[in-house]
Amino acid sequence: MSELIESNGFTNQVLGWKAWLPTVDLNSATPEQLAVLEESHPQAKTSDYYLTLAHHPAILRQRSQAFNAIMYAPGGLSRAERELASTVVSRINRCVYCASVHAQRFEQLAKRNDVIAQVFADPATAGTTDRERAIVRFAIDLTLEPASLNAGSISALREQGLDDAQVLDLIHAISIFAWANRLMLNLGEPVFPEA
Amino acid sequence: MTLTTEIHPQPDLLDSLLDIAPGSHLHQVRHARDKVASATQGSQDLFFDPALDNDLSQSERLCVAYYAAKLGGQTSLTKHYLKQLQALGIKAPVLANIDAGTIDTLGDARLAAILRFTRTLIESPVHGDQAALLALQHEGLSTAEIVVLAQLIAFMSYQVRLAAGLAALHSAGAAQ
Repeated sequence: MSELIESNGFTNQVLGWKAWLPTVDLNSATPEQLAVLEESHPQAKTSDYYLTLAHHPAILRQRSQAFNAIMYAPGGLSRAERELASTVVSRINRCVYCASVHAQRFEQLAKRNDVIAQVFADPATAGTTDRERAIVRFAIDLTLEPASLNAGSISALREQGLDDAQVLDLIHAISIFAWANRLMLNLGEPVFPEA
Repeated sequence: MTLTTEIHPQPDLLDSLLDIAPGSHLHQVRHARDKVASATQGSQDLFFDPALDNDLSQSERLCVAYYAAKLGGQTSLTKHYLKQLQALGIKAPVLANIDAGTIDTLGDARLAAILRFTRTLIESPVHGDQAALLALQHEGLSTAEIVVLAQLIAFMSYQVRLAAGLAALHSAGAAQ
C-alpha cells in the first residue's frame, strides 16, 4: 500500500462513487446493454457509473472505445505520463474521484507518487523534471484555455523530447478527461471510506 | 459479434474542419491512433444522428453543441454547428439569445434548462450538482435523456480540446 496523500480535498485513497440517477437494472438490461458493459470495463456491471451510462449503450460503446484506446494503447507516450496528465486535468476540474483513481494508476506504473503530491498541492508548479513540468503545463493550458494553444505550446513539448506521436497521445489523454471528469462530476458523487 | 446499433460512418469531421489532408504528416500521426479517431467520429455520428433514439431533438442537440463550441472558443467547430443549425432553420431570436448568452430570456423553458446545464458543465463542471439534474427533470427530461445530454456536453468538452490540440500541432508543422 502506498503512502497516503491528502491535500486540498484530494486523495490517493480508493473511493467509491454513487449515482444521482436511477441506474440500469441488470435483470432487465437488454443484450446490447450487457454487451457494452462487458466491453467497457472489467467491473462495469457492478459500477454505478457504467450502469448510469448504460442507459444509452451505443454512446457508451463509442466513449469506452475512445477511452480504452487513449489510455491503454501500446507505444507513444508512456502510460504513466498519460496517467499524470489525467490526474492534472482531474485536479484542475476538481474531480476528486477521477484524481484518486488516476493518482493510483500513475503510482502503479511509475512506482512513485512524488509528482502526484505536487499536483494535489499546487498543479501550477508541479513536476519533478523539466519534461514533467512541460506535460503538466500543457495539461493545465489545454484544460483551462483551449483557445490559447498555439505552435509555441507544441514547441515547449518537443523541446522536452516528445515526438509528435507522443504529443498526440498527450492531447488525447487531456481531452478524454475533459469528457470523463464531467460525467463523474455531474451524474453522481464520490463516496469516502468510513474513518 | 453483432452490433445492434448501426453506424454509417461519415467523412472525418476534424480532419476536414482542420484541413488535415490524407498523406500529410499530421494525418499519418493522427491515424496511427485510428481507434481513437474512429471512436471520435463514431460518437459524432451518433450524437447528431437525426434518428438518435431519445427525445432530445436534433435542434436541441445542435444548440448544445454550438453553445459549447462557442464557450470553448473553438471557431471552426462553432462555424460547423452554426451551419447545421441554420440548415435546420433555427429562428433568429433563439440564435441571438444563445450568442448573447441570455439563456433566461429564450422563452423556451426546456431549451433554457438544457443550455443552462451546458454552460455549467462547460465552464465550471464542479458546480453541476444534484439540483442541476432536478432542474432538468422539472422540465420533463427522462433519465435516458439526461444521460445523453451529459454525454453530449462532455463529448463537446473533449472535441473542443482535441480540435485545439490538433490545430496547434498543425500550426507547428512537422518537427525539424
